[in-house]
Amino acid sequence: MTAADVGLTRAEAMTVRALVGREPTDLEWGLFGVLWSEHCSYKSSRNRLRWLPKDGAAVVAGPGGNAGVVRLDAAVEVAFKVESHNHPSFVEPVQGAATGVGGIIRDVVAMGARPVALMDSLRFGPQAAALREGVVRGIGGYGNAIGVPTVGGEVFYGPGYAKNPLVNVLCVGIRRPGREIGARGAKPGEEVYLIGQPTGRDGIHGASLLASRDFSQADRDMRPTVQVGDPYTGKLLMEATLAAVAAGGVSAVQDLGAAGLASATAELAVSSGVGIALDLDRVPCREAQMSAYEIMLSETQERMLLVLAADGGEDALDAIRAWGLVPTKIGVTTADGQYVLTFRGQRVAVLEASWLVDGCPLKPAPSPRVAPPLPARTTGSVRVSIASQELLAMLADPDLRDRQPIYRRYDSMIQTRTVWGPEHEVAVLCLKESTLGLAIAVAGPGRWAAVDAYSGGAAAVALAVSRLAVQAAEPLGLTDGLNAGNPDQPETLAAFDQMILGIRDAALALEVPVTGGNVSFHNETDAVSIWPTPVIGAVGRHPRPERPWADAVTRVGRWIVLINAPQKPTLAGSVWEQRTGQLTAYPRVDLERLARTVHWLRQALLTDALGIEAVRTVADGGLWLALIKLLGLDGPGNLGIAVTLSAEALAEQLLNEAAGQFVLSIDDRGWPEVSAQLTARAIDHRVLGQTVAEDGLTVRVGSGSGASHWHWPRTELAAAWRLWEDK
Amino acid sequence: MGNNVAVVTFPGSNCDHDTVWALQELGAEVVMVRHDARELPRCDRVVLPGGFSYGDYLRAGALAAHAPIMDAVGRAVARDAVSVLGICNGFQILCERGILPGTLWSNTSGEFLCRWEWVEVATSPPGWPAFVPGMRFRLPIAHAQGAFRVHEGGAAQIWAEGGAFLRYVDPVRNAATGYSPNGSVQGIAGICRGRVIGLMPHPERAMSPVFGSEDGRRFLHLWLGGPS
Repeated sequence: MTAADVGLTRAEAMTVRALVGREPTDLEWGLFGVLWSEHCSYKSSRNRLRWLPKDGAAVVAGPGGNAGVVRLDAAVEVAFKVESHNHPSFVEPVQGAATGVGGIIRDVVAMGARPVALMDSLRFGPQAAALREGVVRGIGGYGNAIGVPTVGGEVFYGPGYAKNPLVNVLCVGIRRPGREIGARGAKPGEEVYLIGQPTGRDGIHGASLLASRDFSQADRDMRPTVQVGDPYTGKLLMEATLAAVAAGGVSAVQDLGAAGLASATAELAVSSGVGIALDLDRVPCREAQMSAYEIMLSETQERMLLVLAADGGEDALDAIRAWGLVPTKIGVTTADGQYVLTFRGQRVAVLEASWLVDGCPLKPAPSPRVAPPLPARTTGSVRVSIASQELLAMLADPDLRDRQPIYRRYDSMIQTRTVWGPEHEVAVLCLKESTLGLAIAVAGPGRWAAVDAYSGGAAAVALAVSRLAVQAAEPLGLTDGLNAGNPDQPETLAAFDQMILGIRDAALALEVPVTGGNVSFHNETDAVSIWPTPVIGAVGRHPRPERPWADAVTRVGRWIVLINAPQKPTLAGSVWEQRTGQLTAYPRVDLERLARTVHWLRQALLTDALGIEAVRTVADGGLWLALIKLLGLDGPGNLGIAVTLSAEALAEQLLNEAAGQFVLSIDDRGWPEVSAQLTARAIDHRVLGQTVAEDGLTVRVGSGSGASHWHWPRTELAAAWRLWEDK
Repeated sequence: MGNNVAVVTFPGSNCDHDTVWALQELGAEVVMVRHDARELPRCDRVVLPGGFSYGDYLRAGALAAHAPIMDAVGRAVARDAVSVLGICNGFQILCERGILPGTLWSNTSGEFLCRWEWVEVATSPPGWPAFVPGMRFRLPIAHAQGAFRVHEGGAAQIWAEGGAFLRYVDPVRNAATGYSPNGSVQGIAGICRGRVIGLMPHPERAMSPVFGSEDGRRFLHLWLGGPS
């Protein structure tokens, strides 16, 4: 075996030899190969991720663990993280997506938290129906069966995703304070147990080869490196792990995901500052005659590593057995930091655990860490006119149309916490353990980052936090799923840097820490890369989850108000631009103004006297789609919205997607005070119109002799938005 | 009849805790029972909750139908000693066990389906006059295999025996018969035989307007023998 066989570069192989001081064995090469892969080592991104703010008042556990943890209140802590399963989902959509769901659920369980919600962020190329159907079936098949509700998500399309679909999954779990667990608590002299599926020959080198290099035509050959998910065992494993943690005597938990036992044991040892000695003959295997190499690198799903105190772990073991799983002791922790594997009586690997986890040479981070200059605009001055039929056609655009055909295939209600599910832009969960609730949102269209990754990164954070703000929810933390092409391409890495800087600047301005996340590089096939795609998940503290603020109008005679409309609206980065031409650079968000706005909005919603009836963000599809959703397509026939827009730059007014905008309906008695407060805070606001007794949406354009007038009944809007033909 | 309720947890059950919570909200005394228990605890009622028992491998409910606890449930039913409610996977298990007639097939869409539906009482179950024919409930369904099927002529027999308890209705189009979201014969959403009831919708998820409807609270209240 050579270093290249396990995916190491020549320079990395030299570093390995220097560390080890001898020629490593084949098994040791294999361990370095997977643990130094991009997927496990984060060698291209680790120095850059340090730029992100990680501290906040609510943070219990920041980045580096299986998941970040924030405090909701004295009774509830929230563990959450986003993870990608992009490459496997292209090779085998159903199983790739299913095991992505299973993997992130195990991450949250490994923090001692019960998973209570999932969201998915999916990206596909055009004409990707078959692939999308497979991914949706995989997500539903796993999530529905394991009993964790899918409460929302997003689906977008773009040419770069044709051979590199993205499947990013966010999982949120809750635990009681005092149930802290994770990979950091193991002490020397404790016992290492493996529970779950017997180890098979599936998924060997999934992390190092499949997820850590670009695709080419030949990659259907990689199908054997995709694992198969079993949600039934996943459910037993989840319950057994949580029961074991509750029983006591568990020092540390680490799930087995990418790079299997190799990664889980090495990371647990380094996180806890202990050594580890494993007897591989004890590992239960699905097939006979598995080699040590196969046992260590297998990515068989539904396995968990637990470290139990040498005496006193009996209750935990009983709890595991009660779920029908057989805990197997496979080794011990030691005081010397050594990573020692024994197989058939021979010591087959003797390394320092830290070499595997921290020894990989990292790409240095560049020093200029300021926002890059705005890219040149190329189409900003094109004159655009738009007709009613084009607006209706846009509603059926793959990026904008109704997602219900997807979401109805996910169980969104199980666990009886879902107050608002996938039909809303933000999920609202009430908890039996607290009067406070959770608001959960995910955001990050790659379209916005396609040309100016800084702008897209900042806007993804801006939109996620804005979505919490419409529920008066205070953001507790963010998780970032960063997807990009080949990091060895300088332009790709530069755009990746800018994406992180955009996320950093927005997180700082909006005062939200980033508590963990995921990086997926090599989303590149035949030299075609995806757009840099930041998927931001946000978790917020909802003040009154049993009574969410409405996101659609309910009464006639309310003012329709737009907040933070851009002074010079542009279609840059919008769905309209994607439909009609070349994408240009999405506008930069005014982060300071947005920070003022979300602070104000959270306070204002809690003040009943201000009379805010309904509120939502303006995002994909611009004001046009926001007004339609504010109207509510299932609303009563004697209620509609009528607005007036100026004739100048009409398309830009209706279809710009600049982040930080909100539409509200406000009653007459509260409006003067709302207006005064917004003026005092230098937050732009304008009355667009009001709710009326006529069904549907009316847009009057201009005034005087040149005025025109559009009207769409709800049925016409619903037909365009809901009844799309799949391609 | 008292309100001591045993809720059975099979491996893979995932609505068991929701069901326990809902019943406790209604004042029932609830005890959880494992799939491998050979006897039922002292109880008046048994609930088989939703989920994917034993992974729903082979067929939904097929393996759970042969779990040790189902022997005990079968004996108690034969003695007319308990009332049994099977919800979703619990309904599938009761059919697989042969305690209820018919079987539940894959939805005609071929896909899992999670959404709100209206169901209507078609026939009062024996012992529950409070479920009045025509009474409607708005409840969520969440299943991949919920199409109720019987052998040729079996549906007529169920109606004749008074076992056609609930059917799906579409109040918007006001189609009282024939509507089905999943391909159930004659739109059947739930059936009964003696004191055993099975239904595909999830009343335990509709305990409050906060979750979209409190019709499930009303349903379970009536099932527990409460006044209408």
